[in-house]
Amino acid sequence: MSRPGPASLVRFTLLLLMAVVSVTTASHAPLVLPDLVLPVVVASALLAGPSRGAMVGLGGGWLVDLLPPGSSVLGSAALMYAAAGLLAGAGRREGQQPFGWVTLVGAASAAVATLGRLVVAALSGGSLDPRAAAVGWVLSAVWCALLVPPLVTLERRFSARRMR
Amino acid sequence: MRRTSRRRLLLALLALTLLLMSFDLAGGPGPGLLRSAAGAAFGPLESLVTRSRGGGEASTRGLLDTAQRARRSVEEQQVSRLLAASDLAGSALLPARVVAVGRQSAAGPERVTIDVGSRDGARVDQCVVSADGLVGRVVAVSPWTADVLLLGSADLVVGVRVGATGTLGSVGSGGAGVHRRPAGLLNLEAVQRGTVRDGDPVTTLGSAGGSPFPAGLPVGEVTAVDTARGSLAATGAVRPAVDPTALDVVGVVLSTTRSVPRAAVTGGT
Repeated sequence: MSRPGPASLVRFTLLLLMAVVSVTTASHAPLVLPDLVLPVVVASALLAGPSRGAMVGLGGGWLVDLLPPGSSVLGSAALMYAAAGLLAGAGRREGQQPFGWVTLVGAASAAVATLGRLVVAALSGGSLDPRAAAVGWVLSAVWCALLVPPLVTLERRFSARRMR
Repeated sequence: MRRTSRRRLLLALLALTLLLMSFDLAGGPGPGLLRSAAGAAFGPLESLVTRSRGGGEASTRGLLDTAQRARRSVEEQQVSRLLAASDLAGSALLPARVVAVGRQSAAGPERVTIDVGSRDGARVDQCVVSADGLVGRVVAVSPWTADVLLLGSADLVVGVRVGATGTLGSVGSGGAGVHRRPAGLLNLEAVQRGTVRDGDPVTTLGSAGGSPFPAGLPVGEVTAVDTARGSLAATGAVRPAVDPTALDVVGVVLSTTRSVPRAAVTGGT
C-alpha cells in the first residue's frame, strides 16, 4: 500500500462530513432521508475498481457504525457499504463515465444498501417499514445521480495531480 | 503483486469486521469500549453542529436557569413542559438535548445521542424520559455524550401495567412478536387474557430499585388486541406515547431510589 495521499484525506473528510450531517439532520427531520455517505463510496469505487471500492466502503461504513449513536449491530454498516462499494467497483469503465451508467450503478448500490438494512432489521427482530425503505432507496438513488459525477471529477483531479 | 496484497488486506479487514460484529452480538466488552471511544472523539462535534444550528441559544443547562424568564424559544417551552410533567414529580432529572439520530436501520430511529455524558452524571442503564413519557434507556456513555436505546428497538423490552386493572405484561419492538405490527407500533404481551381492551393506558411497571425504569411512566395506549383463536398469549399493539422521530429535549432520570426508611402505619384506626 502506498502512503495516504491528499485524495485519501479529501475522501475521509467527505465521508466524515456526510456521516455527521446525516445523523445531526436526522434529529430534526421527521422525514425519510437519503443515504448521504453512499455517493462518496460509489464515486471512488467507479474510478478505482472493486477491491479499492470495497475498502473505501468498509472504512466509510465503520465511520457510520461508530459515529454516535452508532448502529444497533456494530459492523453491519461496514459490511453493507463494502458490498455496495464492491458492486459499484465492478461497474468501472475506462475513460469517460456516461451519466446514464453512473445513475444505474448508483441505483444498484443504493438497492444493495437498502436490502442490507432490511436484512439486518429482520434478523435482529426490529420492525420493518417497507414503504419507508422504498422511499429511502429512491431518494438515495437520486442523491447518487446528483453527487457522483462531481465527486468523480474531484477524485480524477486529485489522482491526476498525484501522477504528475 | 500490488493488487493481490490489497485483496489480502481487504479480506483481513472484512474478517476483522465479522469478528467484531459477532463480539457485539454476543455482548462482549470490546465493542462497548469502542463505542465509548468513538463517542468521546465525535460526540462533541455533533453537539457543536446541533447547537450551532439551534439559532445560537445557550445550552440546555443554560436554558434551565432561564426557564423562569420570558419563554422565547421552543426549547425553553419543552424544558418547562418536561419539568411540569406530573409523572416525573419528585425525581431528579438531568435535562439534555438530542444531538444525533441513527437512521441506519430500516426500522426507523433506534438509537439517539444526547448531549450529556459521564461528566454530567449520566450512567449506563439510566432511564430517559420526555414530557410525554418513556423514551428509552442509556446504553453507552462517553465523557460528553451518551447513547440512548429507544423504546421500539429490538433490544429493549419494558415491563408494564395495562389499564385500570393493572394487568402485568411487557412491551417490546413491533417486529418481535408473533404478529408483525405496522411501523410505529409496539408489541404488547400481557400475562392474562381478557382484561386488556382498546384504549387502555400502558405505564411502566418499574424495575427493582427503580433502575433502569421507574414505575408509573406513560408508555403508550393499546390500539388493538389480537383475538385470533388458538393463540396462547394475550398480545396486542401499543401506540407509543413518545414520537421517536420528533425528539428534542429529554431528561435523564438520575435516581429514584429511597434513602429514607418508610414509616410503618397502623391499620384500623
